[in-house]
Formats: sequence, structure tokens, C-alpha cells
Amino acid sequence: MSTQAKERFSAKEIRNYTFRAGLSRTEGGLMELISEVYTSLLGGLTLLTMAGALIVALRHSLGVGDESALVASAVAPGFHSVTLLQAGATVLLTLAAALLSVEMTMGPIAMTLPQTAWWLGLPVRRRGFIQPGFLTSLLWPTIAAVIVVLPLSLGMAKSPTPGWIALATLCGAALAWLLYGLAAWCQVSARGAWLKKITGAITLLAPLTLVSTALYNNVAGKQAITAEQTAWMKYLPTSWPFLVADGELWPLLIVALALGLLVLVYVNLERISTAALKESAAAGAYAASSLLSMDPTELSRSLSTGPSTGKSKIRLKLIFTGGTAHARSIKTLLSTHATMALRSPATLLRVLVLAAIPASLASIEFLGNAVLIAVALYLCANFASTALGATARFSAGNPAVDTLMPLPAKTVRLVHYAIPAVAMTLWAPISAGLLLALGVGSPQLLLLALLAGPGLGAATLRAAFKAAPDWNMPPVAAPMGPIPTGAIKSFLIGPDLTLIVLLPVLICLISGGVPLVAFPAQMTLTWLAFLWGTHLRKPKSAKDGGLFGVPVAGPTK
Amino acid sequence: MSKATNDPKNPAPSPARKDVVRAEKLQAGYSGKAVCGVVSFSLHSSQSLALVGPNGAGKSTVVKTLVGQLEAVSGTTLINGAEVDDRTLDFRREVAVVFDDDAFFPSLTVEEHLAIVAAGHGVGDVEEVIASELEFFGLTEQAKSRPYNLSSGQRRRMLLAAAFVRPRSLLVLDEPEQRLDTAMRHRLASRLRAEVDAGLALMVVTHDPDFLSTVATKAIFISDTIHAMTPSQAAKAIASENPHAD
Repeated sequence: MSTQAKERFSAKEIRNYTFRAGLSRTEGGLMELISEVYTSLLGGLTLLTMAGALIVALRHSLGVGDESALVASAVAPGFHSVTLLQAGATVLLTLAAALLSVEMTMGPIAMTLPQTAWWLGLPVRRRGFIQPGFLTSLLWPTIAAVIVVLPLSLGMAKSPTPGWIALATLCGAALAWLLYGLAAWCQVSARGAWLKKITGAITLLAPLTLVSTALYNNVAGKQAITAEQTAWMKYLPTSWPFLVADGELWPLLIVALALGLLVLVYVNLERISTAALKESAAAGAYAASSLLSMDPTELSRSLSTGPSTGKSKIRLKLIFTGGTAHARSIKTLLSTHATMALRSPATLLRVLVLAAIPASLASIEFLGNAVLIAVALYLCANFASTALGATARFSAGNPAVDTLMPLPAKTVRLVHYAIPAVAMTLWAPISAGLLLALGVGSPQLLLLALLAGPGLGAATLRAAFKAAPDWNMPPVAAPMGPIPTGAIKSFLIGPDLTLIVLLPVLICLISGGVPLVAFPAQMTLTWLAFLWGTHLRKPKSAKDGGLFGVPVAGPTK
Repeated sequence: MSKATNDPKNPAPSPARKDVVRAEKLQAGYSGKAVCGVVSFSLHSSQSLALVGPNGAGKSTVVKTLVGQLEAVSGTTLINGAEVDDRTLDFRREVAVVFDDDAFFPSLTVEEHLAIVAAGHGVGDVEEVIASELEFFGLTEQAKSRPYNLSSGQRRRMLLAAAFVRPRSLLVLDEPEQRLDTAMRHRLASRLRAEVDAGLALMVVTHDPDFLSTVATKAIFISDTIHAMTPSQAAKAIASENPHAD
């Protein structure tokens, strides 16, 4: 076998060359830049609002400041059924299992698909390709740990001091590094399928224990399961940050353990196989596209097992004989959409679970303030409406499907609207009804939610038929690297309409009253959302009158 | 059609000729489940092996297993005397593989993609080599275009060009004729044959009888069972499987 004495370019040089060449074309028109800045600001403001709500809830839980209408618990007395310790420990355990599962799917040691296609065949040390990503990717679990552990430690420590809270956060970060290192080691050694099964089971079962406790407590009476009975949960490894926050030092051993594992992975980075890197690249690409669609079903598939290959026995009548051809086509299309929805029972279950989340959150001790519930309601409504858009998204990606029936495009779009509209019209009052059962809101608020339902169905369509980012346009510079033109805007289309439709409900939920004017306001917003969501956009070339904007030539004589 | 593991028309080489590829009782598949019969063959320099068979027979799976991108259900493959391991630098220096991976850096041009490959392999005059391959594959005018602005066939040409801007002793191609126009197929086949005559070892999956006749020195028909055959027998077998092949 012939060998070359020296490789001319190192992996680092190739990596730098690729990024420099890409960044040199990172440009876009002024309008694209303004659009990205606007949407970035909107996204930032949304995140700030959510963070603010969390802080408000924390301040309330800590008893800091005066108790105003905003921070006061909106839940009727007697419904605080799960202790903060049990909730906190369960949330940490679930998040840790989910983090490990996601990391094992997407690979902590990750490359993009083009990188695997163009870099992995080169006779250069791969360490130069994967090491920078491996180290910078450590930042994400660290940030996640800080975001989760810091507020929980603050909320649960008996007498929090900055020093102990900082150490608790370090312990949480080390826990995240340990999980990251574990997933990376599984990737390097091509083992760990059993571990993924365990994490999957924990992710599913742990939250159920929380719901079961809440149900049991409500049936058996307040505090049937006492704080003393759940005190052992503090000793779960995932709860060690709480122990540190209360002044224990021994859990910090996890820092040494995590660093040791990371060093072990680091020195073995070259052992990772091409197949493992390609697999994680494909999983990453699937997850990225799912994230962009904001569909929780697709996202959970992409982060766990991959696309569904299950078989369904659901068969609905698709051929109709009565009525006009127009009516028969509509019935067939409706039946097709219903079949597709029913063939994904997990999606429908997820939508139902999402309806219960705001009430579940409110049932946790100290977390029942109206702002936090409103944020949860908005997020759940958004995820539920997006989950119901699978059929519409399929049609958006395969436009030919919608032309199979002899129906005008507008009619087809209205048929797409039917199932999400009905489902969300049921979803909204169910969610509001569960809150009402806890004493949050009022029957008037429930009615308002019912009126918002059809508007949420329109948000489903807006999200499903949104324009994808333009991958052919020059990418726009962003702090994390070049991103396709319109990526952020594309991400926000859909959630924006959900927010607009839900505004009256959210305002009334937070303010604690439903004035009469809220009903016409809600009906107007729902009607506007319907028009917006079912609107058909004309292709640009149609407006320009010809290809490339060149006017169509008149007939020659 | 004989059921054998070695081509009777290509007698065993002299001991001086080293095996570039040696597959012994190799069975390819997914998750431990075989998708085709057991394959055994050897390939030397200046030889070209065509893998043929109907759609879904497992040809691409066999090839991916041969180059270490899939784990074998059973059996072994040696490339240049060493067990297949694409983590080694020697393997990547010697083996060029072109599958239908339509993944490109959106911001890089055609010539920049090729520059990555050439520079990574330590090619002496990168620009000259790239210019030559762009000309051969009819992509000179698209040199500064980005891949997603090219046609599907042009992207295929670009992928193939990437295998030629670098040194190689074994070239593995999975249906290279796909998406290429007839003229390009002929040019590619002639070039491959010339390279094989000059010492290259070539493994190619193909459905094109003309391409096979020009390029291959031996062939294997893959289905539930494996049959070694001459290129002309294989070309006939393809034609009967796929009467519409152009």
C-alpha cells in the first residue's frame, strides 16, 4: 500500500478553510437583515417574557417582595397536591434521562451531513474535525443544567446563600457533563443500547409518578402522601444539587467523576466510527427540521427512535357515492385527513396531555401563579396546534397531493382547516376546564377559550404552510454561525398567530376577570386568524407576470 | 450460470499480485439480518468487479459492508491485506468511495468542495487537478456555482469528480451511471477502463449493460444466491432483468 509521507492539510486547516469560505458569502440584502433583526428581537422578547414569568414564580415561591395580583396563587386552597421537592426531584430525573436519551440519539460527538460526506473520507486525523465540536457542545448541557438547577436550588434550599447555590449549580453542571460523557463513551465504543431503553422508560414513567401522586392526593385528601414520605428523593443522584444547596459537600465528588469520564472520551475520540458519525449527523438533521416545524411529535420521534414505521388498522370510508362530485370529493378528502389523524393515536394522546399540563403545573406547590399558568397555556396551545398539522405539513411538502381531487385550492385549504379547528375547539375548553377544576379562572374564561379554539386551528395551518427557509439564498451571519435566510422568521410563523388568538384568554387569566368586551375581541381575533390561516398565497412569479420578473411578451403580429 | 466464488474466466492470479480486496464468506445485512447470499471473491489491481442484480437484491448493502460503512452479518473483508477499518489513514488514502450522498456545504462552490478533497489528500497542484476534472466532467462553467444551484445530474458529476481529484488504488462506485447523460456515461466508462488497465482496482454496482461491458473484467450477480460470471454474461443478465436500460 502506498503511503504519503506527510498530509498537506490538517483537519484543522480543512475545517478553517470550509468555514472561512462559507462565511465569506454570509451576506444578504438589507431587507433580509432587517427581517432577521426584527424576528430575532421578537424571539428574544418572547424568551425574556417567559424568563420573567419564571422569575416572578420563583420570587413568589421564595416569598420575596410583596404579593401582588400577579404573583398570588390563582389556585383555590386545598389543591396543592404535590410537594415542591417531589416535583423538583422528578423533573430533574426526567430531564436527566431525556438529556441522556437525546445525546445518545444525536451523538455528543456530532458532525453535519455535508461534513460527514466531505471530510470523513480524507486521510487526516479526525480529532481535528470532531474535537472542537465536542468541546463547544459541552456548553449546551452546561447551560441546560444552570437553567434548571439554579432556580430549583434557589427555590428548594432551606437557607440559600450565594456560595452554596453556586456549588449546587456546579454540581448540576457536573451531572450534565457526566451524562454527556456517558453518551459520548457509548458513541465511541458503539455500545449502550440497553442504557437508551432505560432512559426511555424513566422519561415516560417518572412524570407519571407525579401525576399519580397528584391524583392520589386529591382522592385521598390533601397531603395523603406527605413530604416526609418523599424525602428520600433528595438522595437520587439527579437531586444531589439540592443536597449541595443545603450545605452537603460530598455530592461534589460527581465533578471529579464527570471530568474523569470526559478526559477518557477525549483521548479516545479517534475511535469513533464513520457509521456512528453519519448516524448522529442524520439524526441531527432530522431533529433540526423537526425543531423548525415546532411539531412536538416529529421532534420527539427525531430525538428518540426516528421516523415511525408502525402499521395502523384504522380504515375509514374513502369512497362516497351520494351527492355531487364536489361534495363527494370534499367527503373523501375529509375522510382521508381523519384517517391520517386517527392513524397517529400517539399524536392525539400528546395533544390531550398538553391540555392537562397547565393544570398539572398549577397543582404543584408554589407554582400556581397566573403568569406561569398563562405561559404554560400558551406554549401547550402552540405545541398542540402544531402537532395537529401533520397532514397539512405533508401536503405542504407534497403539493401534488392537494391537486388529486377536482377541488379549488381554497376549498382544499378549508378542508385542511376542519380537523385542527374541531380538535382545538375541544382542546381549549378542556384545558380551561381542568384549570377551572383547580379554581383557576371562571366559566366565562372557559367560554372565551371555546371561542379561541377555531382560531388556534387556523394557527395550525399558518405553521404548516409556512415558507421554508431559503437554502439557496446566501446565509445570514448569526452569532452561532451562518443561518439560512428567513430561518428565524420561519421558526416564528405559527406561534405568532397562536399568541394573537390567545391574547384575550391570557390577559383575562392573568388579570383574574373576564370583562364583556373580551368576547367580541376574542371573536374578532378568531375570525381574523381564520382568514389569515386559510389564506392562499399566490406564487411570486404570478405577480411578476413572467419568469424572472420579465413581462410576458404580447402576441406578435 | 455457475454457482462459484471465483470467476472461471479470470484464473487465480500469480502470487506476486496482491489482493486489493478479499471478501471471505461475507454476508451483508442490517441489524444481524442478511439481505442476500454469501459473497466470496478477490480483486486485484487492474481488475474491475461489477456487482449486478435486481433492485433490492442487496448490492449497495454489500458494497457498504465491503468498505466498512455497515457491519457484516458474518464473514470478513480484507483491503490491502488489512481488515476493513475506515478509521485508519491508510484506508482513507487508498480507497475512494462514491455513493449517492446528496449532502453539500450550501455556501461552498463546486471547486471549493473539490479543493477540500484534493487538499486533504495532499494533491500537489490542487488548482490544476481540479480544473482538469471539472473539464472532464463538463462542470467548468459551474465551477463557481453552489451545489444546490446545479441540476441533479451535475451534482452527480461533482460527486464523481471528487473521487478523481485524489489519489486512489481502489475505487468503489455505486451506480455511477445514474442521472448521467449517455455521452457522459460513455466518457466515464472509457476513463474507468483506462484507469483499470493502468492499475486501478474498481468495484462498481451498475444496472447499465453497456457501462458494464466497457468497464468490468469480472462480475457477480447478487440475489438470494451469489453467482460469479463473466462481464458479457452479466450484461445479458442485466438486459434481461431490465429491458428498458438505455
